[in-house]
Amino acid sequence: MTTPREPATQDHPPLEHSASTAPFDPYAADRLATDQGTAQATPGQIMWWRFRRHRLAFASGIFLCAIYASILICEVLAPYSLNRRNTDYIYAPPQAVHVIRDGQLVWPYTYGREMTLDMENLRRIYRDDTDDVQPLRFFCRGDPYEFWNLIPADLHLICPAKGGELFLLGTDRLGRDVLSRMIYGARISLTIGILGVSMSFALGIIIGGLAGYHGGTFDLLVQRVIEVLQSIPSIPLWMALAAIIPVTWSPILVFIGITVILGMLDWTGLARAVRSKLLALREEDYVLAAKLMGAGSGRIIRRHLIPGFMSHLIASATLTIPGMILGETALSFLGIGLRPPITSWGILLTEARSVNIIALYPWLMAPVIPVILVILAFNFLGDGLRDAADPYK
Amino acid sequence: MIGRRRLLSCLAGVGALCGLPARPWASEIRATDPAELEYQRLSAADRLPRNPRVIDLAAMGRQPGIRGGTLRTLIGGQRDVRLMPINSYSRLVGYDASLTLQPDILAEYTVEDDRIYTFHLRDGHRWSDGSPFTSEDFRYCWEDVIENRDLLRGGPPADLKVDGEVARFEVLGPLSVRYSWSRPAPAFLTRLAAPVPLVLALPSAYLRDFHARYQTPEKLGDLIVRYRVDDWPSLHTKVSRQNRPENPDLPTLEAWRPRTAPPAEQFVFERNPYFHRVDADGVQLPYIDRWLFNVSSSEIITAKTATGESDLQLGGISFPDYTLLKHAQHSYPQKVSLWTRTQGSSVALMPNLNCGDPVWRGLFRDVRMRRAMSLAIDRAEINKVLYYGLARESANTILPESPLFKPGYATAWAQHDPDMANALLDEVGLARRDRSGTRLLPDGRKAGIMVESAGESTLETDVLELITDHFREVGLPLYIRTSQRDIFRSRALGGAVMMSVWQGLDNGVPTSEMSPNELAPTSDDQMQWPLWGLHYMSAETSGEGPDLPAARQLVALLRQWRQTTTSAQRVDIWTKMLEIHADQVFTIGTVNGALQPVVKSSRLRNVPEEALFGFEPTSYLGAYMPDTFWYQGAD
Repeated sequence: MTTPREPATQDHPPLEHSASTAPFDPYAADRLATDQGTAQATPGQIMWWRFRRHRLAFASGIFLCAIYASILICEVLAPYSLNRRNTDYIYAPPQAVHVIRDGQLVWPYTYGREMTLDMENLRRIYRDDTDDVQPLRFFCRGDPYEFWNLIPADLHLICPAKGGELFLLGTDRLGRDVLSRMIYGARISLTIGILGVSMSFALGIIIGGLAGYHGGTFDLLVQRVIEVLQSIPSIPLWMALAAIIPVTWSPILVFIGITVILGMLDWTGLARAVRSKLLALREEDYVLAAKLMGAGSGRIIRRHLIPGFMSHLIASATLTIPGMILGETALSFLGIGLRPPITSWGILLTEARSVNIIALYPWLMAPVIPVILVILAFNFLGDGLRDAADPYK
Repeated sequence: MIGRRRLLSCLAGVGALCGLPARPWASEIRATDPAELEYQRLSAADRLPRNPRVIDLAAMGRQPGIRGGTLRTLIGGQRDVRLMPINSYSRLVGYDASLTLQPDILAEYTVEDDRIYTFHLRDGHRWSDGSPFTSEDFRYCWEDVIENRDLLRGGPPADLKVDGEVARFEVLGPLSVRYSWSRPAPAFLTRLAAPVPLVLALPSAYLRDFHARYQTPEKLGDLIVRYRVDDWPSLHTKVSRQNRPENPDLPTLEAWRPRTAPPAEQFVFERNPYFHRVDADGVQLPYIDRWLFNVSSSEIITAKTATGESDLQLGGISFPDYTLLKHAQHSYPQKVSLWTRTQGSSVALMPNLNCGDPVWRGLFRDVRMRRAMSLAIDRAEINKVLYYGLARESANTILPESPLFKPGYATAWAQHDPDMANALLDEVGLARRDRSGTRLLPDGRKAGIMVESAGESTLETDVLELITDHFREVGLPLYIRTSQRDIFRSRALGGAVMMSVWQGLDNGVPTSEMSPNELAPTSDDQMQWPLWGLHYMSAETSGEGPDLPAARQLVALLRQWRQTTTSAQRVDIWTKMLEIHADQVFTIGTVNGALQPVVKSSRLRNVPEEALFGFEPTSYLGAYMPDTFWYQGAD
């Protein structure tokens, strides 16, 4: 396993074993390594260096950090509050932001829009009114909200001009801003991934760890349960479990329920991995050495075994999150997951699945983009983490 | 009258023979078509009754057409083949486009004092298998089916009873029969003209083979095994089902006869060569050779229609699809028109007065609660957002198109008045609220209303979403649960449904001659009082009797209507019932007179541009006679 000495020993010229006249100095290699500045690098540092070299994974990591940070302040980021409806602007297409007016660079602005009803085709037609210039406002007062459900506030990062409207990604059939709903939807969709994974992580490590280290009947039982769980197709099983959630539950409870369902079904893969890693590692020489030196099994697991497969766990957990996000999206899309007024990307996509929308109002499918980006990013990140964390590479 | 008809029918026979010129390409296809071969083989005298029903297309503002062509329609599931007898609409008596009753299968009928109904059949009329249609078929249906306790365990259907008295049936001759009661039975003819009519005649020649009275037990035993049923009554019921044309062997009097037994992806209906209607030139109807019902998933009917896969589409598309369908006109040879829906309300909320929860049951039975919910709804917003302002904001009541309409019905408790709604809710005992402003029930629970929806239309979901917001403003949270239409009824009967979303009154354009059934608790389909409806339907053997004075009064008025003999009395009773309805707000309407897109192939003629769209009374297409539709350039 990774110990601080390894890289250093490789760089050092081979010691002259039998013919050396100098007294044997077992710490010589250490001293040399300290001079070169690598010896004291912890496994974490090494992982970090390796990870940094993986450009795509690094960029994905930054992207995910940014997007996860944004869900803390989505009230501020969204131009409108979640349920704000403007029935004068139903199915308004995305609005362009202009920065050049009469050949001059100016403060970003949008044009006001006029809606006419096309009664022939029953369509709302929006036309830019180029005389009505609406400069955007930043860090401005807009729709009131309760920040984190605690502090009443009305600060927004970006607002339309006073009396104007700003629909950067258009509006839906009730005149709600798609961008704002996507930003709020991120909060639900992304947390469900993290919460679900933490749950399956905990379950996986505990159950898999016990099964792997102790073996015996418990191991056998767990293995069979895992096999059964894995043999059931996941979507029908989710559907069955989601159907149990009572309708009268408040949306927040439903949210927690869905998270629990996703987490409960996802731990199997992780538990298997933990178990097999444990089985392999506990036969390693250094474990035997630790045992001979009198270490208890708690210390062995903590100090010698877990660092051995943690990297693997982190990588596989990272790769599970997109599965969770997709699971939530799929369930909500099928109408059995989250329910309005909770807004997630899945809910937004459910509303966009009719053929009318694809043909006439394609901007309502915008939530597909963050879903794809987040899932790709998680996959790149997981990939990079796995490479970085592999001590044998 | 008959004399003239006879004359016309003779002319018709000649005309039909002359009306078969050489058709260049269609004839090649048709030469191998068994239906067409059968048609060619038969002379007009064999095919048509001596006095066929002559449809005067010119008087209807339509053009006489040419025979031929295949019509494609999409359906959302195999069960929807039941739309065929509704759309085709051959009835003993039926409504025409102006909603007056006309003899259709019958040559004529006479009514004495609304008690004695004498029916005269068309001489030479045949079932679609060529067997004659005579009074024997009525006798078979009456004596061997309706009066047979093995087949109808509950005895004759309620429609044949007046105050428990079953009609007296007489055969007057090979072509005439009579049904009579000692008291007036004004609803009798309208039941025969209903989309799903009261059946009085069955093809006896075919069905005898399945009846214990006429068939030997050994053969019956073989048939029971072959049709995989338990006993002969279920065998008979299975093969004689007329409202679902799933048995291609069952002879019919409809314009098209079924050729496909389920399971199938495509149901073929081909022309009935013995159909009893002709146009003024004597060409036998229907014009269209074949009507195909293609089974598809109901969610993609719109998409398929918009890509030209349907020649005539009414079901499965809804108002929000209009823009897309209109757009598709550029790419495919089809045309969209907008018909007016006849429901009393496009989307209506039905608080379940038989709800299992005693607290809610008490609240829903309180008229102030129902009025408050109605007042809380902002109908103008619903109309503007979802219907382009083209619908009418209204309570769940009849439409202005009906002669019985009064403006007061539509506006009663239908204005948007949250203050008054709040005041009423405070009065009924929901004054307490929690921190977030949600009202609390007297027992401390949250006053959240669970609304069940069949989840079949996005329009319904959208209306609900708006209503959820409207209700939130008066402190009533609304939860939406989607469940299957089929299990809905049993759940409602069991009291498990608190409130449902449904369409309003089926028949929004009644005349005083139509029965006001729908306004009183008469059926367990009525989601606002399923148990009371069951009570009436089962002749008071199950369910429970209405205990609200207003509901009891509705039942009493309905009973009175059944005793009436003059139009004035009927108008009077209709008015009283509609007033009670308006005042009591048993169901909460939103908007009515909504528009329904109807897509047709641009070559299809005689499909009206503007018409009423509804199950009752027009039977969807039925009153507009799809047998008179034809293809331009069919040959």
